[in-house]
Amino acid sequence: MMPSLPIWQFDVLLLVLVVLFAVVALSIRNLMGAAVVFGAYSFMMCLIWAGMGAVDVAFTEAAVGAGVSTVFIVSTIYNTSATMRSRPGGMAFKLFIGVVVTLAGVFLLSALPDFPDWGDPNSPANATVAPYYIENSIRDTHVPNLVTSVLADYRGFDTLLETIVVFIACIAIYSILRIETAKSKTDEPEEDIATAPPSYDPSDSLIVRQASRFMVPFMQLFALYVIAHGHYSPGGGFQGGVILGASLILLAISFDLKFLLRQWREKPLMLLVASGVCLYATVGLACMFTGGNYLDYGSLDSVLPNDRAMARSHGILLVEIGVGITVMFSMLAIHINLASNGRFDRGL
Amino acid sequence: MEILAYILISTGLIFFLGTTIGLLRFPDFYSRMHAASKGDTLSTVLILLGCICLVSTQGEMNWLLGLKILLIINFIFIGSPTATHAMMDAGNKAGAEPWKKDSQ
Amino acid sequence: MLLVLVRAFKGPTVIDRLVAINVIGTKSIVLLLFAGILFGQLEMFVDIALGYGLLNYIVSIAASRYYQHRRCLEPTHTANGGQPSRWKS
Repeated sequence: MMPSLPIWQFDVLLLVLVVLFAVVALSIRNLMGAAVVFGAYSFMMCLIWAGMGAVDVAFTEAAVGAGVSTVFIVSTIYNTSATMRSRPGGMAFKLFIGVVVTLAGVFLLSALPDFPDWGDPNSPANATVAPYYIENSIRDTHVPNLVTSVLADYRGFDTLLETIVVFIACIAIYSILRIETAKSKTDEPEEDIATAPPSYDPSDSLIVRQASRFMVPFMQLFALYVIAHGHYSPGGGFQGGVILGASLILLAISFDLKFLLRQWREKPLMLLVASGVCLYATVGLACMFTGGNYLDYGSLDSVLPNDRAMARSHGILLVEIGVGITVMFSMLAIHINLASNGRFDRGL
Repeated sequence: MEILAYILISTGLIFFLGTTIGLLRFPDFYSRMHAASKGDTLSTVLILLGCICLVSTQGEMNWLLGLKILLIINFIFIGSPTATHAMMDAGNKAGAEPWKKDSQ
Repeated sequence: MLLVLVRAFKGPTVIDRLVAINVIGTKSIVLLLFAGILFGQLEMFVDIALGYGLLNYIVSIAASRYYQHRRCLEPTHTANGGQPSRWKS
């Protein structure tokens, strides 16, 4: 299995790098530079989790924190053009803040000796619940990836509520930012998005456009592979959905935003965001109709052709597809809202 | 095969050292970008080719794994110079001046 | 990688920092694969490396698009930076 000996040097090096990156990100005066270094800091966190062996979490952190989240921050800076001001307040104020933060840190660190040891088999998580999952997951669900089976089957309610949280985030950004174009007065005449000619700036680079056109289908294919192969390799619905959304954001960035808005209108987009959550909930209801509890996929074996364990495996796949759909269109809708400042006509 | 892997990886690391020194010492950001893009892409391709050779020596050759590393090489080979081109274009439009030798 | 971080910290213009982060991103993909080799299970880490390679590209393009639209390297001093403000009528 995994050797544990060369790992602690790797972990210490990564921890030092994380702290250095965070310090650099905080001390850069220019906001754009700080945002980009913050993205790299996110990726260092991903490396720490990969060093611990938690590859699913590392994948999600790389996809969301180091990829899409940095693009959102850049869009926000573009639309607000915020600058960093030095904080007023003299030396005494800074000293006071330093003392308070240090006290809070010491208080938190004093709980450290009470933690169980690294990988202790007698810790509460490992002694009661984890051996059941490790021993019975393949027999119950035919899914070798323990993370996927725990996430989508044994703890299916949590994943349903997490998907709803992503959905709520998308709706919150939509309802805060979206304004109807009749209320904001701009100087240019209204033009119908569907019939307007493609409007990318001719001085924009042809190279970037062509390279992005090359890469987008491969990204989407890879993302579909990640969703479908989540049973056997790190991945699953959430990571695949983020990469799918990122591929469409790449189209929006390298071409113009209007190019994307001609394909994805507002109303079908928001309906598709909701449909992923609906798919997840409907699978649960179907389980109730065929005789089991809510989200008990085993009772689907009266509808699906194989035995009970394969029915659970198929149920997990359906649920992951639902999560992937919601996350993909959420990322796209959030990017369109942030980049065009709610107007849905032009932007970054 | 293992010796080939080690040769490739160490050559890649030497190129990466050259990239870093160039990134620190060049006077202007256009020339720094030159050093960063070329050296970085080349060193990554060499190191990843070395990784493919290493993978092929551990047990039997796992074709899917080699293919996936080839895909990574492919995306970095296409994506990294394009990103550098976009950044240089942005720097040019935003008005950064190139360094002239007699202005020192 | 620490030396590249120094350039990210020092770089007199912002685009220096973008270049430095692009280099750090590419080298981190290599670090992930080395971690996979150390663990002995390279299959798990190759997927993450592939995903991050694609996303590193997106971040670089997005940041450079910002400067293409802005056409100015320094942060602007007006409140809305040349775009029509949505709060004024």
